[in-house]
Amino acid sequence: MTETQGFIAGVMLAIALGIYTFWPENGFASQREKTRLEYLLERKEQLYENLRDLNFEYRAGKYPEEDFITQRTLLENETAQLLAEIEHLQQA
Amino acid sequence: MAAFGSFALLIALALAAYNLFAGTIALRLIATGQPARISPERLADTARRAGIASFIAVTGAAFALVWSVFNNDFSITYILEHSNRALPAPYKFAALWSGQEGSLLLWAWLLGAYGFVLRLTHKTDVKLYAYAGTILAGVQVFFLAVVNFAAPPFSLLRGAIPEDGNGLNPLLQYPEMVIHPPMLYLGYVGFTIPFAFALGALMMRYPGEKWIKITRGWTMVTWLFLTMGIFLGMHWAYAVLGWGGYWGWDPVENASFMPWLTGTAFLHSVMMQERKGMMKSWNVWLIFSTFMLSILGTLLTRGGLVSSVHAFAQSSIGNWFIAFLVFVLAVCIFTYILQRSHLKSEQHLESLVSRESSFLFNNLVLLAACFVILWGTLFPILSEYVQGSKVTVGPPFYNRVAVPIGLFLLFLTGVGPLLPWRATSLRAIRRNFVIPAIALWATVIVCLAVGVRPWKNGSLDAGDFYALVAFALSAGVFTAILSEFLRGAGVIHKQTRRNLFAAMYLLIRRNTRRYGGYIIHIGVVIVVVGLAGAAFNRSEERELPLHGTLPIGPYTLECVGFTQDSNLNYNSEYALLDVYRDGKKQFQITPEKRVYLASEQPQTMVAIHSVPGWDLYVVYEGTNPDTGQPIIKAFLNPLVSWIWAGVVLMVIGTFIALVPSLAPATATVRVPARQSAPIEPALKGGD
Repeated sequence: MTETQGFIAGVMLAIALGIYTFWPENGFASQREKTRLEYLLERKEQLYENLRDLNFEYRAGKYPEEDFITQRTLLENETAQLLAEIEHLQQA
Repeated sequence: MAAFGSFALLIALALAAYNLFAGTIALRLIATGQPARISPERLADTARRAGIASFIAVTGAAFALVWSVFNNDFSITYILEHSNRALPAPYKFAALWSGQEGSLLLWAWLLGAYGFVLRLTHKTDVKLYAYAGTILAGVQVFFLAVVNFAAPPFSLLRGAIPEDGNGLNPLLQYPEMVIHPPMLYLGYVGFTIPFAFALGALMMRYPGEKWIKITRGWTMVTWLFLTMGIFLGMHWAYAVLGWGGYWGWDPVENASFMPWLTGTAFLHSVMMQERKGMMKSWNVWLIFSTFMLSILGTLLTRGGLVSSVHAFAQSSIGNWFIAFLVFVLAVCIFTYILQRSHLKSEQHLESLVSRESSFLFNNLVLLAACFVILWGTLFPILSEYVQGSKVTVGPPFYNRVAVPIGLFLLFLTGVGPLLPWRATSLRAIRRNFVIPAIALWATVIVCLAVGVRPWKNGSLDAGDFYALVAFALSAGVFTAILSEFLRGAGVIHKQTRRNLFAAMYLLIRRNTRRYGGYIIHIGVVIVVVGLAGAAFNRSEERELPLHGTLPIGPYTLECVGFTQDSNLNYNSEYALLDVYRDGKKQFQITPEKRVYLASEQPQTMVAIHSVPGWDLYVVYEGTNPDTGQPIIKAFLNPLVSWIWAGVVLMVIGTFIALVPSLAPATATVRVPARQSAPIEPALKGGD
């Protein structure tokens, strides 16, 4: 490829990429702001996962019973508070 | 093709710059809600498409360089200096990254490729991806500016064009060198993605921790590439450099190891943020540091800051990289100060003996190791700056500090999975640690019984002592991880009545991330066992005339001949050595010495016979100029193949961890509220 051919190929590439970049298209994606409710729903999934892990590890024999009950109570209280706020926001 | 390549690089730079500036303006308009003549979302979308177009332009430039190499276009200086007509095709391809200009083009292309995938998948979270894409464009502008103005790969030769090129550095003419640098670069470059997401999430005050889930796959893939790159480099050093080892604490090796350490720390500590909203500032700085260490690694490898057997390209582009590092650090500090209120922890550490604290210790140890290595790597530069003379830090310094740190890390690898989250009672510790402790002490006894002696002549032998500790800890950690699998499989067996193997399979499928991680830990244990074997290395060197013998370990090597060969690329000499064990011939081994014609440089090709217990590693060092006799050096390196086997397991574990877990079966049970209390925000965060 000669220097001139290379230059012409480069100009054609520039035109093609320019058209692709600035081609008017109405279907672009947009996104609304994330709400606190959505944030809490994400956290709810994480807390459920933590509870599932705790139960599984207890069944696998990693926790003595008292430890398990203490940990489960703490996690359940945290989850209950979260669910209450979710319910409150959903009703509002 | 040179004109097309240069032009494509300029187009790529212009498009990346548009991506950066239009993206920044659009995000600013969206954040402030200011009215504008053009819709900010539309502007952001043109920025995104400019990023994609920039990748296509860089691909065009990379294609032009590869095309020119394969067509022996020696009018391009880079190709003249890194290729020749007789160079085999795979190495012609490798010429793309054998020099500074080409490897920086590869950096830009890989970053473009990562960005291409990111921009195509932007609908996952449009705003977060717009921030990440714009930050990526900023990094891309820097690299494209370097390849356009400081290290252009398409510079043309002035004067007459030679018939043939200077050839590729002989050290690079080895199969692993075709895949090791791209792997390493995929790792270095890949850390730009989690960096961009973390910085973007901080800039936009991303509510919640979902961005971590989004970037998890990116981070793990990047970590996998860096791991593979490092170990392929170790294997290359072992098979090519001919000194019998695989890791010499060379500055360039260190440069790849440092981001690996911080990246590993990030992969662990980010779980705390996901699960409990803790360690947010820590994690942000870990990923910032990992990215900056990757840039530092590129600077060390390509910038000529340090001298190294691995630094195949050196030049004065160091100032560009130093300026970029300072700029990145300033942006990180500024953003952190501005948005630090967003990074407050939602919970605190409840106990010093818990899974959380084990992650914290693991992070501190990994960072301590990183700091030691960074200090040792930069010490020659700092000493030259302060004292005027370069003081080099050698392997004894690193071994003295890094080996105990590594062993403590191995200890934590075993302890972590056994500790429950939040807090651990004494009863839980007793319950979980008895069997691993038994395995550990049993291994100590066995090692002492088979002849490992940590003390010799009344004093401690550091090599044997560390090997003993490594074997014992490895046994303890392996047992701890195995017990995790067996306990989990036991629960599934009780629930589903499946046999042990089926239960184990289901266990892994239910939580691929955790059990994939455990498999990676087993891989690490196997690697450590292999590394510990180095304490028992043996070597013998002697002149070996025809029918001369060289005993080493259980083997005896007998020289049965010497031969020569040549092709268009190199001339070579072989030694033909029959290997005997217990008086019986086992196999023949042929160490080789090559002289490459284009560069007129010699190169050793080591002959390695590998079995699970050890490697027989034989080097033909050439002939003694005084006696004319050939010199053979043989090593017996125990357990080296365990290192490579461990890496394979680490790769398998990472792939498993990348597979999505099975969705849990859930059931909803509604219970009446006990009391109606005013609703307070349940959790901090999410602002």
